[in-house]
Amino acid sequence: MLDRSIALEGRGVGKVFGAGDLAVRALYPTDIQIRRGEVLVIMGPSGSGKTTLLSILGLVLTPSEGEVLVGGRDVSAATPDELAILRRDRVGFVFQQFNLLPSLSALENVAVPLLLAGAPRGERVARAARALDLVGMAGKQGATPRLLSGGQQQRVAIARALVNDAPVLLCDEPTASLDGRTGQGILATLRELATGEERAVVIVTHDDRVLPIADRLVHVIDGKVVDTLLQLQQGAP
Amino acid sequence: MMQRQMGELLRLGSLALRMLFDAPYKSLGTLVGVIISVFLMAQQASLLLGILGRVTSFVDASGVDIWITSLATESTDATGSLPASKVGAVAGTPGVAWAAPVVQGQGKVTRPDGVQENVKVLGVEPPRYAGLPRTLGPGTTAEALRGSGRIFLNWSDRQTFADAQPGDRIEINGRAGVVAGFFQGVNPHNPFYYVFANIDDARALAGFPQDRVTYIAVGIVPGERVQDVQARLEARIPDALVKTRAELRAMEKRFFLVRTPVGVLFGMGTVVAALIGAAIVAVTLYSTAVDRARDYGTLKAIGARQRQILQLLMLQAWIFFAAGYLVGITVFFLVRFHFPELAMATPPRLVVGVAAAAFASCTLASLVAVRRVLLFDPAIVFRA
Repeated sequence: MLDRSIALEGRGVGKVFGAGDLAVRALYPTDIQIRRGEVLVIMGPSGSGKTTLLSILGLVLTPSEGEVLVGGRDVSAATPDELAILRRDRVGFVFQQFNLLPSLSALENVAVPLLLAGAPRGERVARAARALDLVGMAGKQGATPRLLSGGQQQRVAIARALVNDAPVLLCDEPTASLDGRTGQGILATLRELATGEERAVVIVTHDDRVLPIADRLVHVIDGKVVDTLLQLQQGAP
Repeated sequence: MMQRQMGELLRLGSLALRMLFDAPYKSLGTLVGVIISVFLMAQQASLLLGILGRVTSFVDASGVDIWITSLATESTDATGSLPASKVGAVAGTPGVAWAAPVVQGQGKVTRPDGVQENVKVLGVEPPRYAGLPRTLGPGTTAEALRGSGRIFLNWSDRQTFADAQPGDRIEINGRAGVVAGFFQGVNPHNPFYYVFANIDDARALAGFPQDRVTYIAVGIVPGERVQDVQARLEARIPDALVKTRAELRAMEKRFFLVRTPVGVLFGMGTVVAALIGAAIVAVTLYSTAVDRARDYGTLKAIGARQRQILQLLMLQAWIFFAAGYLVGITVFFLVRFHFPELAMATPPRLVVGVAAAAFASCTLASLVAVRRVLLFDPAIVFRA
């Protein structure tokens, strides 16, 4: 029976890079579920396989084994274009380096996923403005990334991840490039998106400051998910 | 379907354009490369067409339907001769309205400053004066050639001959010719001045044999097909070359292209210009694509399909084409306007041809970058 509360699921997903004697196992077969409304934090040392796990869950890396289910649908057989559309509509990405297009304004950056989806201009502007408003950036619509601070750029990136109403947000080190106070603000926003908007939020990080907003914590060491700790939500920092 | 695709292209077009501004200096470099390439292609091709037009200007200017000449003739610059008696046989051929002899001799003309240069003396027969350019200078009529020792000078050579006026004397092969008027439309690309005289004077000026002619100019009966008359003439005088105006024009061009390096020079120049443009666009687009691997990876990660990435890069190449072509062809026409004396022809097919070549070179050049970007792994966005 389909559990509609599960936004994203990996069943036995693992990854081996290379082949033969040069094969390197980056991730051992892993089962993982991400539920709507929860914040899942993935931690582990560099090279442990946490980004590989995030990439597989984000449909940008094909697992060597196992399957990924998006909204209960197995996407193993999806074509590259179908995966692109799933990423566009079902998954929002937040990157460590923000990855905004430098010549576009905040509003235009946020509207890029809508543009790729073929939305008309009026709809793009209205929805991008709403997404910016949601992350507290309503007053910076026309600013290009170089005029924004790191924290503001990350908020714009979060707005871009939200604009298509994707049920899943995958965040790769979202606070790594930010100072402590700004990082706390971003984490508060992510927590609010999980609680208030019923989004599933996955955060890969080294940063212990993330723990207070986590519902669950997963440790990945040497390609293995070594423990899955349930935590009580402690509220936004 | 078509409308939807156009809509998608337009939407992506704005993104493609904005992305070019992310690397303004590289984009400017690419644009300058396309401009130079377009200008060079237009200039080289235009010079070639202009020179070829001049090569055939004698044939084009005369309005003769069929030219008959010696089998040995390779072009109007390398002619044999025919017995003058053939004129009667030609005139009696069905479909021929008239036939007239034309002689072509060479010699030296003495400029007012005493310098001697090569001259082609063409003799035409009254009252038809077939072979004489149809466009004559202001105030000149063909009948002015009827008197003895009269010559027509090229309107464009007036300055060389001290602003020559009717009545002035010009020395050709040690004999005096009196300027009786001017002709226009013959601007040959060879080291010869052209003068026209009546056929007897031309023979005298150039030392051409009385019983020979260089060409027999033929006019056909209205309503006859030129190819039919040509076939009858070939059957009647098999020991002569019978060419329609178009065929003689083609023969002139072929001779010029084969016997001089001009065709290869300008043809290669045009091709090299296209290749330079393509190379500049390919290198800069490729290098920009590599520099922006993370941006393209991001676009892929947030949902851009391969087709959209392809369209994005193609659109960028076409933006360079459109802007580069517009500026390049404008600069070319400005140069053309300021140097009207250059042998540059600008028929519509040149403008269209250069556009097609620039479009093709930009499109092909972008494929190098397209191939690279399509291979980008979207997972690149997770690497620090």
